[in-house]
Amino acid sequence: MSSNPGHEGALPHEEHGAHEDAGIGRFFFGRVPAGVHGGLKQYGLLAIFLAIITLVEFLIIVPEGLQGSSVVIAPLVILSVIKFFCVVAFFMHLKFESPLLWQIFVAGLALGLVVALSLVLLFGVFRPTPRAFSENRQAPFEHHAEEKPHYEALVVPTPCPVGACPTPGGNVPAPTGSHPGQALFVGVGGCSACHTIDGVAQGILGPPLNGIGSAAANRLPGYSAEEYIRESILEPDAHAAGTADGLSQDYDGNLMLSTMAGILPALSDEDIENLVDYLLTLQ
Amino acid sequence: MAHADTTHAPPAHEASAHPPAHEEETNTGISHRKLLMWVFLGSDCLFFGSLIATYMVYRGQSIVGPYPIDIIDVPITTISTFVLLMSSFTMVMAVAAARNGNQKRLIQWLVCTIVLGGGFIGFQVYEFNLFRVEGLRYETNLFSSTFFTLTGFHGAHVTLGIFWLICLAVISARNPAGRPSGEDVDIAGLYWHFVDIVWIVIFTLLYLIGGFDAGPDVGHAAAQGWQWITGIIT
Ligand code: HEC
Repeated sequence: MSSNPGHEGALPHEEHGAHEDAGIGRFFFGRVPAGVHGGLKQYGLLAIFLAIITLVEFLIIVPEGLQGSSVVIAPLVILSVIKFFCVVAFFMHLKFESPLLWQIFVAGLALGLVVALSLVLLFGVFRPTPRAFSENRQAPFEHHAEEKPHYEALVVPTPCPVGACPTPGGNVPAPTGSHPGQALFVGVGGCSACHTIDGVAQGILGPPLNGIGSAAANRLPGYSAEEYIRESILEPDAHAAGTADGLSQDYDGNLMLSTMAGILPALSDEDIENLVDYLLTLQ
Repeated sequence: MAHADTTHAPPAHEASAHPPAHEEETNTGISHRKLLMWVFLGSDCLFFGSLIATYMVYRGQSIVGPYPIDIIDVPITTISTFVLLMSSFTMVMAVAAARNGNQKRLIQWLVCTIVLGGGFIGFQVYEFNLFRVEGLRYETNLFSSTFFTLTGFHGAHVTLGIFWLICLAVISARNPAGRPSGEDVDIAGLYWHFVDIVWIVIFTLLYLIGGFDAGPDVGHAAAQGWQWITGIIT
């Protein structure tokens, strides 16, 4: 306010004559001297305007075809930005305030937007989405199951806690006469909590092991399939499987490592050989 | 602001119409309290910005229902949005009344604002309860966690604002002689309007745009996550 000696020391809006009527046009669009304020007329008009915008926003998404469509995003965002700045400029009378307050608020707002945008870019755009990651465990909501019976087929039982399966029945039970490694895989080995083998287990945290018996030979140069699988079980962090191996995503080697630390002591050497043997049969 | 500079205090009936004599001079020309309020509001933008971004990141990522489309009621929320918007109007009228030193009007407008704000909270309580009954609890899925965190914090802001306004109304009812000052009400008003603009953003993003997001088997825009941005960028 130093530029205006007459206002010095006093708060602009508490200046004498502060409630002089600015007139509607001047209030909203004109350059008004600091300290001019609106009254019922101006604020009432603005309230009606904002209510109309809200109504328009609502009407935009009334047609069913537009609900959730990306066409409406731009108009809705523009309308609410208008509402936003109307409230800030007039209800919060920032239009009539010292520019410093504008700068402070806009700085905070800009910072907030930058943070929001970076979050969305980092975790929403440039990473695999959590849904893609866990799609095969999607569960229906009741209405959906009624309307879309195929949903039933998608439901996958939640794997039992690692290493603590009451019976192998938590997943698909190991058929009698199957490979002893398979029983270990779905049972005490706890592997089925993280790995998928079609018809045997449906874990989601680790890479699917379908066909690992042949794929393993191509994972690391100089390793046979058997050596690679054995190392994967005993030292899971030695080579983390990922997109370079033709898988859909990169996996975290430490994830299996930390769990195996609790499981390995319970497995005998013979168990390990059985597991390796079993995985080798998956061609 | 408990300055007791009574020597310069104007007569009671003019008290709020004139610059309160105890208002100190500041080298920005803006009262410290007001400046502080704006700094706080600027920082609150960051707070809500992060919560909104979190919601948007996890938008369309839930793998168990209920999904927004199963549960979000846009018409009802449009009404509650309208209620909150009108409370902004009554608030600004209260500020104007306080500035003009019209204590009676001030109390009337404050009570209107409190009632409207309470109405908004009523809608929210109703909505949250309905969600709970329908099986959407805080820990149900990504949608529910981010939704309740964001709208819950907003509701908490509104609730705090209601208490603030109740205090102002009680103070002015018990002490008609110039308190609360125009600035006291003004600052409460800034907070109140800010809560309103946050809701403007939430209403648009979570209800009008995000309220129709469905489960993973629906191939519409939101279900694709944010991949459409990658499309724009590349
Ligand atoms: C905590 C979850 C978890 C458990 C339990 C687990 N794994 Fe893994 N497994 C992973 C992850 C994550 C990877 C990918 C990282 C890597 O390659 O080390 C992996 C990788 C593997 C690989 C290499 C796959 C490839 O395509 O290169 C094999 C083989 C394997 N696991 C076998 C097993 C066996 C056998 C068991 C049971 C004894 C088991 N896993 C238990 C998470 C788990």
